[in-house]
Amino acid sequence: MQRIVRVPQDGVPVTEARDVAADPSMGRKFSIKTDVVVVGSGAGGSVVAYEMAKAGKSVLVLESGKYYPSAEFTEHLGDTIHEVYRDQAGQANSTADVLFIEGNCVGGSTVIGACVMHRLNPSVWQDWADNHGLKDLAPDKIAPYTKIVDRWLNVHVNEAHEINATAHKVIQGCERMGFSWRPVERNVKKCALTGHCLAGCPSDRKMSALVTHLPWAAAYGARLFADTHVTRVLERGGRAVGVEAVIRDPKTGSIVSDLRVDAEVVVLAAGAIHTPLIMQRSQLADRSGRIGNGMAVQPFVQVLSTFKEPVYGFRGALTGVQVDEFQDTDGYFFISGLAEPEQLMAVGEQKAGDAHIEFMKSYNRMAGINAFSLDEGSGSVVWEGGLTDGRKVIKWNPSRKEFKDIVRTTALASRILFSAGAERVWLPTFEKMHADSVFDLDDKLRSVDYGINGLYTFRMNTFSPHGSARMGVDPYESVVSPDGEMHDVSGLYVADASLFPTPVAAGPQWATQVFAKYVSDRILARGSNHFLG
Amino acid sequence: MTTRNQAADAVAPLAQVSRRRFVKTALWGTGAVLALAGGSFAILRRSPLDDVSKPASLVHLSAPEYHLFNRAIEVLLPIDDGGLTPVDQVPVMANIDHTMGLVDPAVREDIRIGLALFDNAAVVAGLHGRRFVDLDRVDAIAYFDSWSRGNVLQKALQTVVKKFVYVSYWRDPATWPPVEFDGPVSDRWGIAYLGNAPLPDESTSDTASGEARA
Ligand SMILES: Cc1cc2nc3c(=O)[nH]c(=O)nc-3n(C[C@H](O)[C@H](O)[C@H](O)COP(=O)(O)OP(=O)(O)OC[C@H]3O[C@@H](n4cnc5c(N)ncnc54)[C@H](O)[C@@H]3O)c2cc1C
Repeated sequence: MQRIVRVPQDGVPVTEARDVAADPSMGRKFSIKTDVVVVGSGAGGSVVAYEMAKAGKSVLVLESGKYYPSAEFTEHLGDTIHEVYRDQAGQANSTADVLFIEGNCVGGSTVIGACVMHRLNPSVWQDWADNHGLKDLAPDKIAPYTKIVDRWLNVHVNEAHEINATAHKVIQGCERMGFSWRPVERNVKKCALTGHCLAGCPSDRKMSALVTHLPWAAAYGARLFADTHVTRVLERGGRAVGVEAVIRDPKTGSIVSDLRVDAEVVVLAAGAIHTPLIMQRSQLADRSGRIGNGMAVQPFVQVLSTFKEPVYGFRGALTGVQVDEFQDTDGYFFISGLAEPEQLMAVGEQKAGDAHIEFMKSYNRMAGINAFSLDEGSGSVVWEGGLTDGRKVIKWNPSRKEFKDIVRTTALASRILFSAGAERVWLPTFEKMHADSVFDLDDKLRSVDYGINGLYTFRMNTFSPHGSARMGVDPYESVVSPDGEMHDVSGLYVADASLFPTPVAAGPQWATQVFAKYVSDRILARGSNHFLG
Repeated sequence: MTTRNQAADAVAPLAQVSRRRFVKTALWGTGAVLALAGGSFAILRRSPLDDVSKPASLVHLSAPEYHLFNRAIEVLLPIDDGGLTPVDQVPVMANIDHTMGLVDPAVREDIRIGLALFDNAAVVAGLHGRRFVDLDRVDAIAYFDSWSRGNVLQKALQTVVKKFVYVSYWRDPATWPPVEFDGPVSDRWGIAYLGNAPLPDESTSDTASGEARA
């Protein structure tokens, strides 16, 4: 019999806390049975939800964030931060000097992402196949998955009209420096060039999970609960049998209901910070000692510059070009971009008083570069305390080597901007500094002392943590198997940025979605182990 | 009146947050550091503002916090040459109050301790002899600037104050026209809404192995 599958024209059918509160049949405590429960509805979770539902499994997606449909997007970053950024974009490491920015909403970070779909170099896949025993990740084996992600999410190389004035400054600087650059690839359909990617795309041109895999999954019958925070995985005899969650009113934070889900397969896709936290709260066996450890951070700093003439660098597509000169040799990559005034304040506020006013008055003459570096993968996340009264602790501060890399990426980004004609570069340091020439730049950067653990030196941010529950062959070295299943718990899979086997020098969304598609196939291939019917 | 010695004792934790100690305490999180530094000081010097209550509309800020941010707004945003949107046309304080309400309660408590420390430490730091709320403009700016070069705790606290103020000003659309930021444009430009993407066409050849099962 043929099924009629209809994708809703817009929006996703979502059960929210208020629906639960209004439904007497659910009450303060209820349970649901399903074939597959997916925790998290972002880049990874949405893909798995679609693949499982399409294969005829009953699927329940649980998302801790709220449902913020694109019809409600305001193109106002401040509002959006309050609505859907985790901890109002204030999630930070334990010393509060590095921000870990993450989406907390239906669609996860894909909703607020900058759209860069950064392909991993084939040598990375080859390394994972050759040196980590992950044979099925070899470039030829993974290629079918990468093609699907590219095609389904409209990944394309930016065309000329998608290269804005900021990007043109970067191109000019690179040409003068002899650095290799190229247009970035993005998951956008007919970009409207509003520049508001970080506040979500109100015309649904960004191919976020909100307009792709989630409505597609819903078309195949997947159910999605928002406002539903998964506290732990339920395990019996080394086998995952479901999860427990609390449903909270997003406005008041009060608990509306406790939910228990019984499932044949549990898929964790809560992102690189939260997936290991759920594992820790669940007290799952951890032979490798790597749950939450070995996290790559991929720190970035935002280097801003002011030109003599108006640039209007904030207009047009937010991300235009990428400098790839140092990607394979040093693990550095640079992406052009200048966001709205508030974002400048959030990630790198400037001096006090008149100096700040002078800085902001030059906003229309600014161009910016986000300078990323490959770190050593020594970050960690730890759940401290009890199941309900504990708290997350994110630990990462740069080592001396990582600090040097940050100094160097700052220096390179600044040089690109000076070469493009910038009169002034604003350094991304806690002690506010600027440089008016490359000579000045070197002196200033030399004055930034590593001190202790590089604390409060550079204003570092990350939106791309990965590898906090790594994939590998050896259960003493990794958390999940080459199939994405936890070594120590059958039926418990990971399908998000946590499972990267090593740190990568690339934005993680593209590879996360490739991995999620790959893990989905593995779950289905091993179906007889998991599913009764 | 607080003597110089009493004052120095009171903010000693701040001066003593030696790097080694900070790193040790940092393991417990910033909150612990702030508690360590802020836990043992009392109000060092009274301010005439202590008798002035806060506006009733503020839900989350205490009166001292209100006075602190009021002073911070005055000195951080000196918009008096007509170039930018005047501060009194932007609900900066209301925005700060709202943001404070959104912060996780445990973190909010840390921030509160930090703000009190920031205010009081001005009595001795830089030998201003007055709380931050009573500093004149030049001294207040100098206070911010010296803390931006200070120890990690000082850097952290001046960042918190600036961030609250700047974000709360610049998030308001009224501040954008003078810097020519366009703000929301989709409606103004009549951008058509595309809706959900259609189901992917799975019939083409570049499907992964798993597609065969379908
Ligand atoms: C502002 C921003 C811009 C970015 N831009 C880019 C870019 O241009 N290019 C790029 O490659 N990458 C970018 N990224 C990073 C990229 O979005 C992530 O790497 C990617 O989304 C990771 O996918 P994920 O599935 O691991 O996590 P996410 O997409 O973050 O999804 C995780 C989901 O799980 C939910 N969750 C967490 N805990 C629980 C719980 N206990 N119970 C239930 N649900 C839970 C979260 O709310 C979230 O919705 C950006 C990220 C941000 C925040």
